[in-house]
Amino acid sequence: MALRFEVLGRFNRARAAQLTLPHFACQTPLFMPVGTQGTIKGLTTDQLEEIGCQIILGNTYHLALRPTSELIDELGGLHKFMNWPRALLTDSGGFQMVSCITNLYVAGIFYTQWHFAYIFQVSLLHLADITEKGVTFQSPVDGKPMLLTPEESIQIQNRIGADIIMALDDVVRTTITGPRIEEAMYRTLRWVDRCIAAHKRPHEQNLFGIVQGGLDPVLRDICVRGLVDRNLPGYAIGGLAGGEDKDSFWRVVAQCTAALPEDKPRYVMGVGYPLDIVVCSALGADMYDCVYPTRTARFGTALVPEGVLKLKHNAMVNDTRPIDPTCACMVCKNYTRAYIHCLVTKDAMGSQLLSYHNLYYMLQLSRNLHSSIVEGRFPECYIIPDSNLCASRNSNVVRFLWQFPKGDVPEWVCNAMDVAGIDISSCCSS
Amino acid sequence: MKFAVKALSSGKARAGVVHLGSCPSPIETPCLLLSTRKGLPIFISPDLLSSLPSPDSNLLQFSPLHFSEGPSPKTISSIGGLHQMVGLHEYGFAAVARDSIQCLPECGSTNKTGASFETPCGRRLIKPVEYMEMITSMKPNLWATLADEVPAWANNKRNKTSVDRTVKWLDECIARSP
Repeated sequence: MALRFEVLGRFNRARAAQLTLPHFACQTPLFMPVGTQGTIKGLTTDQLEEIGCQIILGNTYHLALRPTSELIDELGGLHKFMNWPRALLTDSGGFQMVSCITNLYVAGIFYTQWHFAYIFQVSLLHLADITEKGVTFQSPVDGKPMLLTPEESIQIQNRIGADIIMALDDVVRTTITGPRIEEAMYRTLRWVDRCIAAHKRPHEQNLFGIVQGGLDPVLRDICVRGLVDRNLPGYAIGGLAGGEDKDSFWRVVAQCTAALPEDKPRYVMGVGYPLDIVVCSALGADMYDCVYPTRTARFGTALVPEGVLKLKHNAMVNDTRPIDPTCACMVCKNYTRAYIHCLVTKDAMGSQLLSYHNLYYMLQLSRNLHSSIVEGRFPECYIIPDSNLCASRNSNVVRFLWQFPKGDVPEWVCNAMDVAGIDISSCCSS
Repeated sequence: MKFAVKALSSGKARAGVVHLGSCPSPIETPCLLLSTRKGLPIFISPDLLSSLPSPDSNLLQFSPLHFSEGPSPKTISSIGGLHQMVGLHEYGFAAVARDSIQCLPECGSTNKTGASFETPCGRRLIKPVEYMEMITSMKPNLWATLADEVPAWANNKRNKTSVDRTVKWLDECIARSP
């Protein structure tokens, strides 16, 4: 184990903690931006430090292809390679190989910007063959079959050198039904043993296991118990954020957070939208990652307390307000919606500035979640967002319910908050 | 703006210094103007720009035509001008109608009423009055007037026409100078 996890404050199931990793002492709940190819698109590492980023996620699959884990190792590890002094987490590489067309298309465009891009328009799901050995897939470089085993995934991650590494899991989408889900769950447990055996740097890198089991509570329970038996430094809840309905999503998170150890970090993979992060934190999760803030920025969408703001919209042409008057980021302090509107989708600077703001927003959300839990203000409810009663920006649960000014809070949120023991009735119209 | 020559070489070269109202420090010449796209250097946001050597990197060149599709001169005025709009209050901006990449003079379409440019928004004919409306709203430290720019291989007649038009537009721009 190469981490310390100390809970500093609680509200019912929600907890705020200090997660001390080899490269950085982090505060949870926290959001991790995704730096696929060893970089967050549109921001330098100085800017990421400036806005308070604590951990960046790197994609093992992409880094193994380019520039290769051997080269990264030779050059002193990913921290040095990308000049990031704080913490890093790498995923196992498995998800990228079986993930959706959009992810692969984006990866393909990034990897080779010219004629190979069309290769990635075919989902590798059809080309990936998952067996007990590992995941066989077609190399995007030369089409040759390649095999990623649990051992190989851990060896690559050992070379990359991240503070947290993920076990290779057999991940299936929650939209699939049938015996495949059970097969994947048991295989995940068998593979985690192989990952543990292959892990050569347990005193510098923390291996997290990933709970699978689809939407089946029985399977999820078996998987949680199996992983907890292995006494890993931390645990992730995987297989979500892939198209399942929200009501199923929160129930799986609630079940897993209730069963995972109190004294270890819990990471919900691929989440996500600010509202989802607030709900999952209320249910007892600590860590999140998602491409959403930066990807949506590249499409001209900013994250704001009321939900989203589409800067491409014609209404923005002459709007001289900042994106978010309550936001303290460099973009909101210096730029108007009108200026950002003239940039988005036409100039790279538009993507850069929006990515900056969106990441700041997510990281500020993380800070607010942590401090409000520590200070006992997590659930505080202000009925009218603009009123003088709203003394600080740190009231989180209800702040996110400002997205529903008519009180039409989704039922899944109400149900989840009920289980989390947080009263949001004053924000709901019914 | 103030400009003074500090030193001369034995030939024609000279070293000078430029004082601009918005820049806290004088800028030595010869100096390089950083080219921009919509007021910001490509890929370099203001917080990164400050890491370049200063004051040498404090002079930026821009083309008012980059804002052909908005924001409007009225909106730019209400924001307070270009410096305010792009958040570079202590930098100097020099306006030139053309840039070397995306707003290129199209001398074949230029006529007596205005200069034509190929832009990312298509071909645009800019009249002196419109150009000066942009300059007035953007408030650059330095600005070049609208010119009828022709390539070096233009014939004598076209060349003469370009000079006549440029001088005429110079007077029109000066008359509307803020």
